[in-house]
Amino acid sequence: MSLKKQDDMDHNAWIKSQDLTAIETVFLTTLIWLDKRLRIVDYLELLETMYYRANLQMPKSHTEQYDLDNKFWYWYPLYSLGSLSIIAYLLAAVSGAMLGFYYAPSTAGAVAQGDPTAAYDSMVMIMKDVQFGFMLRSIHRWSAQFMVAAVFLHMLRVYFTGAYKEPREVNWILGVVLIALTLLFGFSGYVLPWKQLSFWAAQIGVELALATPLVGEWAAQLMFGGFTLGQATLVRMYILHVFVLPFVVTSLIAIHVGIVWVQGIAEPH
Amino acid sequence: MTDDTTPTADDGTDEQVRTDGGTDEEARTDGGPPATVPPDDETPAWSERKERSQGLAQLTYQYFERSRREDEDLRTESTYVERDVLGFPTWPHETIRNLAITSFFLGIILLVSAILPSHFGDPANPGSTPAIILPDWYLYWSFGLLKLDPINPDLAVLGGNIVMSNELLGLIAHGAIFGVITLVPFLNKGNARRPVEEPGWAALGVAGVILAITLAALAIQNFFPIQLELLFSLVFMLPVAGGIVTYAVLKTMREGYMYDLNRRYFMLRPPK
Repeated sequence: MSLKKQDDMDHNAWIKSQDLTAIETVFLTTLIWLDKRLRIVDYLELLETMYYRANLQMPKSHTEQYDLDNKFWYWYPLYSLGSLSIIAYLLAAVSGAMLGFYYAPSTAGAVAQGDPTAAYDSMVMIMKDVQFGFMLRSIHRWSAQFMVAAVFLHMLRVYFTGAYKEPREVNWILGVVLIALTLLFGFSGYVLPWKQLSFWAAQIGVELALATPLVGEWAAQLMFGGFTLGQATLVRMYILHVFVLPFVVTSLIAIHVGIVWVQGIAEPH
Repeated sequence: MTDDTTPTADDGTDEQVRTDGGTDEEARTDGGPPATVPPDDETPAWSERKERSQGLAQLTYQYFERSRREDEDLRTESTYVERDVLGFPTWPHETIRNLAITSFFLGIILLVSAILPSHFGDPANPGSTPAIILPDWYLYWSFGLLKLDPINPDLAVLGGNIVMSNELLGLIAHGAIFGVITLVPFLNKGNARRPVEEPGWAALGVAGVILAITLAALAIQNFFPIQLELLFSLVFMLPVAGGIVTYAVLKTMREGYMYDLNRRYFMLRPPK
């Protein structure tokens, strides 16, 4: 018996000892090579667990359990409004990311008052020159409309079915915050094309901010970059719309849905 | 550090005697005793340590113990029998249903955006205020709240001047509305779920919805062919009217339900 340490796990010898085809040999060699470095076996176990989790049965809902479907099926759309707002949000995110390739948040280029700015021109470019651009903007805008509408109706559904009651107060408050943020999302997006309506809507926003006691001027500086509208306003609205709000709203939606998951759906009874 | 149960040297010193005649201290080459005390019977268990802790940690521990006990008591007292979960499998049933709903909604959004292109106006001009300033439709109610100047209170001491600017009044109105909405779950308690069970709250909800719509009408007042005073009255009268109607309808429905219930009850148990 030699003193050389025996390798109990000599995978190469194991491969050789078997009668394998070329494909099998290559596959096994690659797998072993990767597994030595990345320990794939752990992740395979995770995958296995997920497979079994996915094959679990969802508990029957109240309606299904007591066979009330024949009475309740026409209420069903009201119970998918939260889902609809998330779908619309995702669609707006995808189309918005694509619009972001072409949009320029800049008020440069206007010689006289009322001339089109770079932001306006880039919107015109998107709608006239970019392939599929008109549809892209239309999708972005309409998915935003659908999201806001769905969020409002979702709140009404929750209100009228009393789904906000005792253990779910926190989620109701979270929902109110999410509605406010959705409206802010819509407002900041409305300003971006820098057309007449955008400008004057932002003007009202500034006046409103300035009317707030104590923190008014500070709020106007923070949100609109000054007391008169200009380049700073546009960039702030842009960063709010494409950077700050997406992160905040996405995380809040995740928490919102997570709480629903933990607490269960409140069905009328 | 020394343990009473381990054998000690005969001369009474604390040093432990190893089987080869030396002591622990001599044999030690690793620079001293371990930093952690090895667990023995004297070492408190996890729960004991938690129990012994003080202040907020102790309170937390005590509460969790209580709630766990409460859970256990409820479980032992209840007559609920755990059965196998009745349900639809995630795959394919739930997944197919969710995919169907998702593709339906996506299809609707894409269809609408294809057939209804969005408005695009003139470039911004700080020099000329347009005749109509409007936000998107979902902010009409908010915009309407900024046009509440007819009810902005004025004081005689101020010589008929308004107490606050109209914008501030609008802001306060916003705060009041968001505040009331936030407080709803703390004001309305109980197990009732259906609108019929709580006609008052349902009426409040309907009034709120109508108020949002009438405020939107106030926001686009330029387009309304009626007088501003009339519009302003309607803004606040219509929600009240809607609330009253809802209350009446729900009360009546409730009577009907009770009638049906009573009839069924007396059919089952006729009065002797």
